[in-house]
Amino acid sequence: MTRRFEDVTLGEQMPTLAKTVTREDVNAYADASGDQNSLHQDDEVARSVGFSGVIAHGMFTMAHLTSCLIGWLGDPTGLTRLRVQFRAPVYMGETIVASGAVRSLDPDTRRAVLDVWVTLERDGRTEFPIRRGEAEVQLA
Amino acid sequence: MNPAREGTWYAPVRFEVREEHVSRFARAVGDDGSFVPPTFVTAPEISAGLAQAVADAELGLDFARVVHSEQEYEWSRPVRVGDVLEVVSQVESIRTKGGHEFLTLRTEIRDADGDLVVVARSSLVVRGNT
Repeated sequence: MTRRFEDVTLGEQMPTLAKTVTREDVNAYADASGDQNSLHQDDEVARSVGFSGVIAHGMFTMAHLTSCLIGWLGDPTGLTRLRVQFRAPVYMGETIVASGAVRSLDPDTRRAVLDVWVTLERDGRTEFPIRRGEAEVQLA
Repeated sequence: MNPAREGTWYAPVRFEVREEHVSRFARAVGDDGSFVPPTFVTAPEISAGLAQAVADAELGLDFARVVHSEQEYEWSRPVRVGDVLEVVSQVESIRTKGGHEFLTLRTEIRDADGDLVVVARSSLVVRGNT
């Protein structure tokens, strides 16, 4: 059921959604999306452009963030806008964690705007594969 | 890249939303397959935009050096299985800065009635030699 406008508060944080990214995931995403860039499949190619190995598609990480949003919203058709910046690579075996927080609420349209992001831990530091994301959703 | 290609419209692509494709995409992104994942629109977007940009010899995009920097979707309505979409992409901008090249593609996806379904904007970086 779609989350109701009256049940959402400013600053409210979405429950996090975590996923450990495997080579099988990335191959399946390349096949399903049609993005066959070898940067996501061939370690040699990835190293030649300065990465330490194959990286996940940015869009794979964005899709994961979308799953997190839909889980919170309770309605896969209620996402009206999503804008993200990809700011760190995701290597195979790393765990991405999606989350977000309600930034504004519009009682006239019953829509909410959320700040959204995806983090991962690498060498004791928090990296942001997605930072400064913005989502707009239609509440019930 | 060739900056003169800025403003180029690529040929419209017809894209039929098939159940098998949607469930394959849903599995790949970890959804349960009971709905069309909103980012399924990436598949038609790539078929009209990125695929034609990569094949555009005059543009000269080195795909293996391409990294995604920003992405935006604005949905007018959700995509449904059985939709027959018309997808058209334009090279919105080409820039060079600090040894890297920047390409933005804008894609409009409409349904069979000509009504807008989603507008996508994809910003790519072509990494210089490192």
